[in-house]
Amino acid sequence: MSIPSTSVSVTSSAAQTRAAYLSHLLALAQRSETTLPWLRELRDHAAVRVQEQTFPSTRDEEWRFTDLSDLLAVELAEVGGAEVQAAKLAELAKFYLPEADQSRLVFVNGIYAPQLSSLHHLPEGLTIGNLVNLPEAAQQHLQTYLAKQTGAEEVFTALNTSGLSDAAVVQVRKNLVVETPIHLLFVSTSSPALIQPRALVIAEPNSALTIIEDHVTLNEGVYFTNSVTEIWLGDNAQANHTRVQRDNLAAFHIGKTAVSQARTSRYTCTVVNLGAKLARHHLGIHQTGEQTETTLNGLTVLHGEQVGDTHSTIALTKPYGTTRQIQKNIVDDRAHAVFNGKVFVPKEAQLTDAGQLNRNLLLSSKARVDTKPQLEIVADNVKCTHGATVGQLETDEVFYLQSRGIDADSARKLLVHAFAYEVIESIPLASLRQHIQL
Amino acid sequence: MSTTVQSLVNQPYKYGFITQIESDTIPAGLSEDVIRLISAKKNEPAFMLEFRLKAYRQWLKMTEPNWAEVGYPPIDYQKIVYYSAPKVQEKKKSLDEVDPTLLETFEKLGISLSEQKRLSNVAVDAIFDSVSVATTFKEKLAKDGVIFCSISEALQEHPDLVQKYLGSVVPVADNYFAALNSAVFTDGSFVFIPKGVKCPMELSTYFRINNGESGQFERTLIVAEEGASVSYLEGCTAPMYDSNQLHAAVVELVALDNAEIKYSTVQNWYAGDADGKGGIYNFVTKRGLCQGVNSKISWTQVETGSAITWKYPSCVLVGDNSVGEFYSVALTNNRQQADTGTKMIHIGKNTRSTIVSKGISAGNSNNSYRGLVKVGPKAEGARNYSQCDSMLIGDNAGANTFPYIQVQNNSAKVEHEASTSKIGEDQLFYFTQRGISLEDAIAMMISGFCRDVFNQLPMEFAVEADKLLALKLEGSVG
Repeated sequence: MSIPSTSVSVTSSAAQTRAAYLSHLLALAQRSETTLPWLRELRDHAAVRVQEQTFPSTRDEEWRFTDLSDLLAVELAEVGGAEVQAAKLAELAKFYLPEADQSRLVFVNGIYAPQLSSLHHLPEGLTIGNLVNLPEAAQQHLQTYLAKQTGAEEVFTALNTSGLSDAAVVQVRKNLVVETPIHLLFVSTSSPALIQPRALVIAEPNSALTIIEDHVTLNEGVYFTNSVTEIWLGDNAQANHTRVQRDNLAAFHIGKTAVSQARTSRYTCTVVNLGAKLARHHLGIHQTGEQTETTLNGLTVLHGEQVGDTHSTIALTKPYGTTRQIQKNIVDDRAHAVFNGKVFVPKEAQLTDAGQLNRNLLLSSKARVDTKPQLEIVADNVKCTHGATVGQLETDEVFYLQSRGIDADSARKLLVHAFAYEVIESIPLASLRQHIQL
Repeated sequence: MSTTVQSLVNQPYKYGFITQIESDTIPAGLSEDVIRLISAKKNEPAFMLEFRLKAYRQWLKMTEPNWAEVGYPPIDYQKIVYYSAPKVQEKKKSLDEVDPTLLETFEKLGISLSEQKRLSNVAVDAIFDSVSVATTFKEKLAKDGVIFCSISEALQEHPDLVQKYLGSVVPVADNYFAALNSAVFTDGSFVFIPKGVKCPMELSTYFRINNGESGQFERTLIVAEEGASVSYLEGCTAPMYDSNQLHAAVVELVALDNAEIKYSTVQNWYAGDADGKGGIYNFVTKRGLCQGVNSKISWTQVETGSAITWKYPSCVLVGDNSVGEFYSVALTNNRQQADTGTKMIHIGKNTRSTIVSKGISAGNSNNSYRGLVKVGPKAEGARNYSQCDSMLIGDNAGANTFPYIQVQNNSAKVEHEASTSKIGEDQLFYFTQRGISLEDAIAMMISGFCRDVFNQLPMEFAVEADKLLALKLEGSVG
């Protein structure tokens, strides 16, 4: 659609503001230091990618319903390593998971915190740690994976790479099944700050692992988290990934999870979005071999004036892929949920079986949902379905519970909980399921 | 895909002939002078010229949209003939005076204009290139107060009505192609059903593009007053040319309190040859406004033709308890491209809408469903059900769905489902094993797939649509 002539001048000045803000973000990101020459090269390359692009506005189809203009007003600052204050961090213990007590990596404001991390009794063949402290040989190996996922050029992903000075690394050697869940805890303590956590997970052929990626906060101020997680699954590898976002209600959170799946690999992802004033999570799945299985479970719970956006892209390129996706949104008050789920099935991906369901529960008359499931299919011998529903709690159901002596308020809570439970129960850790009681 | 089925005859486009008829054609190109010329030729009231010029000035400032899943070379708007009319300019009193060649053309198309011969109860307005040729059953309709005539006639005889409603649903600068249409449209149909009248017969318009360079820009306006109801059909064909022709129509429907409008389309413009050469670009804006309480607008479309179809018949549900419906079958074969769907805008309370879309893509074609269901904050109790199914025939065909759902009211209930499937070899085998030929089996399965939509078409058209689909698909299924 064209721009009405009267708003041209307004638009161009808004465009300038966005361009200036993106330069500001890039400059902040580039202030983080690195001594590794190969990393320097990677960062410079990403910085060029950022410079080529513009800060998204609602005129971009991908950002049509998610307005970032509130972020433009936030003056962000660099994070300092000194902010890792032990006193305050005692509070962090509440986020620790007993199941992963000896397999925890903690990053404070995107910077590795060795005193908080706990790595003990881990099986041989599991490499876990922060990128810069790994032996040089391991670093060499990781270069072929870091920032090499499809979609690495997207503006916020490239922004993260342009300031990449360290990353959480998990690598599982061939044929190794890691029983212990691995906890990647990203905590923000600084405000106003640009925080750019990064994680790289590599599961070699026939290996299996469980990862919990947890974004939490210990401050009330405004900050902008721009996180990127890259996951590589080799042939027949298995990963169970849980991503929880519990930022404070002043924060902005843009997250990217890029997954590459080789032949017969299985990837299960459970995403729970609870926090942030504006949160966006982009899940990109790229199939590189046949017979992959992908299961995506998503839950977004919003209240107040929160905006929660879930984008997913599933690109199948080989035959016999199976994907199952369910995204549930619970929206209260004046909150706004966005879902865009893309499934691409090109000609080569015959016998794909793709199912997608998006369910939205509106709890208030001011709540808003924009959903866009999207199928693009060229292969003919496939089974693809998608569904989307938007509704409120059934009065019949509330009445039924009331007739059994449960008061209306509890009945509603019960029903909302039941709605969310389908997603929550797919979290593999009981302690984490407890944390996420609504 | 078995080759025996692939090689089954590909039914040639049987409406592809060109009528040799002298026409009054203005030189190609678009400028304010051309618009003044069109307006003068049609002897229009002053407000029309203003309407056109306003649209043209807006159009100049607009840029061509490019968000659809369709690809085509840029259109040179200065190479299009904006006015082409069969030369006999005197307005016909009876059909005897209409050029016999023209009548023959319509006979060939299966549209009999001679009232006496007609048994079926359908009034027809035939439009050839840019100008309405003849309207049947006018007197009979007039007895009930129904106005059914070409829009240029309406501009002469009922200018107040036209002025009141024209552009009220699709504003002049609504979109690029609607603005172009508003500036240059030459004819179309006008239907007015007065208060409380149930239109006694089906109304129908037949569109024909004949001239190779001309674009067809028709404008249809249907107004149903309080308690009125009407069923309207449109059909379209064009000759085969190597070049592409632009068809940018605008259809506006207005339904007042308790009124009901049913609009059915069987679109069979020339689709180009198997390599995608030639064919019509069908860029159409269709929108219905349910202005009154309890009003209802129902769109049914069977899209089989056109090189590119790009249209979204929409319903704006303003009146409380109003109902919008959209039933569509879109079939693409060879190199055809279709990006079609609907928009249901719920504004009033307890508004309901139903969307049933069936897309069939064969050959190297691409078929997209793009729809919007929007529930505004005041639309208490709004309800939508959408279903869009795609069937893929052959592994070079593409099917996309882009459903947008925007809800701002918690009492609304919106459901959307979509599926994609193919005709299974085992299903075909089951039919053939019972002695049913492959072609019949495919025709039956397609017809079953489209049943929900065909059921909405008036009887005669449902049969025609069924046959049309079977013909179009011959040679591509297996």
